[in-house]
Amino acid sequence: MNGIQLMVDALSLGSQYALVALGIGLVFGIMRMINFAHGDLMMLGAYALVVPTVADVAPPLVGKWPAGAMIVAITAFVACAGILTERFAFRPLRHREADGATLLISSFAVSYLLQSVVLLVHTGRPKSVSIFAELTRQMEIGGVRVALVDVVTIGVTALLLLAMVVFLRRVRWGVEIRAASEDFTMARILGVRADAVIALAFAIAGGLAGILSLLYVAKTGVLDFRMGVPLAVAGFVGTVVGGMGSLIGAVLGGLFLGVASSLLQALLPEALRPGRDAFLYSLVIVVLLVRPQGLFAPRETGERT
Amino acid sequence: MKVGSSLPTLPAAGLIPLLALLCVIVHLIGNLLVEGALTEALVYMVMVVGLSVFVGNSGIISFGHVSFALIGAYASAWQTCCPGLRGVFMPGLPEIILDTNVPVIPAALIAALLAAVVAAVSGVAIARLDAVAASIALLSLLFVVKTIYENWTSITAGQGSLAGLPLYVSLWTALAWAAVAIVVAQFYMISAHGLRLRATREDYAAARAVGISPWRERLIALVISAFLFAIGGILFGHYLGTLAVSIYWLDMTFLTLAMLVVGGKRSLTGAVVGTLAISAVRELLRALERGFDFGGASVQIPQGTQEVVLALALLLVLIFRPQGIVGDYELGVSLPR
Amino acid sequence: MLLEVESLEVRYGTVPAVRDVSFHVETGEIVCFIGANGAGKSTTMLAVAGVLHPARGDIQFDSRSIVGLAPEQVAALGIGLVPEGRRIFGRLTVRENLVVASGLRGGMAAQKQTLDVIFNLFPILRERYDGRAGNLSGGEQQQLAIARALLTKPRLLIMDEPSLGLAPKFVDLVYETFVRLRNSGVTLLLVEQSMRRALSLADRIYFFQSGQVVLHGKAAELAGRSDLEHLYLGGAAAR
Repeated sequence: MNGIQLMVDALSLGSQYALVALGIGLVFGIMRMINFAHGDLMMLGAYALVVPTVADVAPPLVGKWPAGAMIVAITAFVACAGILTERFAFRPLRHREADGATLLISSFAVSYLLQSVVLLVHTGRPKSVSIFAELTRQMEIGGVRVALVDVVTIGVTALLLLAMVVFLRRVRWGVEIRAASEDFTMARILGVRADAVIALAFAIAGGLAGILSLLYVAKTGVLDFRMGVPLAVAGFVGTVVGGMGSLIGAVLGGLFLGVASSLLQALLPEALRPGRDAFLYSLVIVVLLVRPQGLFAPRETGERT
Repeated sequence: MKVGSSLPTLPAAGLIPLLALLCVIVHLIGNLLVEGALTEALVYMVMVVGLSVFVGNSGIISFGHVSFALIGAYASAWQTCCPGLRGVFMPGLPEIILDTNVPVIPAALIAALLAAVVAAVSGVAIARLDAVAASIALLSLLFVVKTIYENWTSITAGQGSLAGLPLYVSLWTALAWAAVAIVVAQFYMISAHGLRLRATREDYAAARAVGISPWRERLIALVISAFLFAIGGILFGHYLGTLAVSIYWLDMTFLTLAMLVVGGKRSLTGAVVGTLAISAVRELLRALERGFDFGGASVQIPQGTQEVVLALALLLVLIFRPQGIVGDYELGVSLPR
Repeated sequence: MLLEVESLEVRYGTVPAVRDVSFHVETGEIVCFIGANGAGKSTTMLAVAGVLHPARGDIQFDSRSIVGLAPEQVAALGIGLVPEGRRIFGRLTVRENLVVASGLRGGMAAQKQTLDVIFNLFPILRERYDGRAGNLSGGEQQQLAIARALLTKPRLLIMDEPSLGLAPKFVDLVYETFVRLRNSGVTLLLVEQSMRRALSLADRIYFFQSGQVVLHGKAAELAGRSDLEHLYLGGAAAR
């Protein structure tokens, strides 16, 4: 496989994982809870593209709207779904001062719930859906043919990350999210409303999941009620390895995981390839032991943490 | 330093006779479906009781125990499954394993021992981490083990199913193993190790101050817990007769965790009660999904309702009764002080 | 009476850190809590600010009970807290720290006046405006912490050990600021380690020991007592 093709593949996967890790990291930063349901939010967005039905073939619903409307609708839909999970599952727990272990289990329960509901409505048979068909074409970069959808994934992710940076630095709500991630109680003492800032984090994470679902479905064309799991696993591993308390760490962790996974797949000899995932997952335990703040988290400076 | 309101009692003395009674009643009723349901419930009970040895005493949630069930189930299959055809399904196994048929009980013990060894090795690292990190690490262990087993097709039949395991799990076998698990869990709980681990759960700093080593106590609990959970996984495999890596993954993780949490994650009685309660609800929903006639009208709920109800049940318990059905309570005979 | 606290009991787990504490603060006063470490002063502050929930007792601000309110609700009512250890957001810039605090009362644009006051009091903050807050010295961080609290337009400003760990020149600056704040209408409640400073600054003093108030009164009167140091080091109060 050619070097440019390899890079595009690796960066495309890395982009997907970076987006998931960002969504997980946003919520983790404030609530100190890893939201296992995040991958399933992406799955919800994908299924919103088709008509809910137990039939083998699901006719497109939002999937046949014009591109602009579809993007807005799915992004908004998943953002709302995220807000609803916060409102009805996580907020009641927070108000009852649930401990970290309970929050963790509950996010697992929400994940299971979302999967079960979709399983109930759509059955377990994978369904196909086609959106943005133009993206399945190939394009040429430096004389090499690469999939357009991969290039678009990389580009969209880069834009989203840039938008996030601007939001987190220049918009007051974004600054509040960063403050809440660093010292939630102190932010509240200064008047930052806990419910509002958490709902906002979930909304943004949901929006990111919505956009990711479009990119993912554009590339694979398949719906499956379990489709969110590999992404959630990747996002989870990326966040922990990259740095749980830091958004930059999470994003870089996701990127690193996707790139490493792709490169290992292409470059490892046949016999070692199955060990690739096992090796990458075991990095979590290694990082937790050796450098728990993550590989890419910025060093803490200043007088007191 | 308060250790908990649940001591000192011997819950096994109360739980085992009650379970035995339940089995006798169900057997006498003679309905095969109900008997099968209770058998399956008892198999899960072995897992959940095993889970509670670690989670209940340490306060650390484990999402990774199913990896021990997976290891145990396949290790038992390597010793007992499909004699003659074993080499066809799993050509990568060493000659000696392909040729030897071990009787089922020693096979189970050896297989669970393998899982316990894996727990010990990974536990050396994991027991050092703080509670949240440990939970995350245990989940990662599940990912690692699942991926290895999925991809090492020469010894596990990969993503396919492995059929032909000896079906030796009857109602009474399951009851016997459940009783063994409960007794082991109880003796750990009232032992000095159990006491010390619970001390770290109640007040970590104080426990360390009096010289308790959280790392050692967690490691011991994890190994015992992994052994029992593996037995449960082995029984599950021999109850179904087939194995597939996908069985030992997120569904089983969710189910066993739900059973523990709904019953009461801090007590052994909770593990037993939770398993029975969730199993009963599942059976009821399964029956409704199959559909039946009620006074002339046909009643049936859609396939898949079962999982939705379970997920909602767990969420509601977490929000409104996080201590579970029994809380800290332990059934049984009080020990003299 | 601006703040009235009655029979407050706050526990950490099952251990009471503060037992049967009662005190009040009148508008325009400067009140000081003094006492050794662990005597319950900070715990009481945190309970007033809504960070800790009391097991028993009542807290009334402007004749309205605020027990059980969330910290952000207490802040909205007009109580500002500068907690022990300053707790500035080290990863954010000075500017961003102020932005967070400005949100309660309409954002930076709506607070030009307050910002002018802040930069007047603490010119270093204007100099280091875009610098990382974590890189400031202890004294500068304390100034930032006070500036943040001011942006929430508190009627009652509570400060926990404002002089702790500061170089003497900063301590003087900070105490001058207190006087200026009081003069501009802010009521102050301080926890102070140094008895000398507390006596010279405060109108009234409450003396804490083992989670209870063992002595209180006007600073002027207490200054004359010879047994204060004895109390501070753990002796019993003479009746």
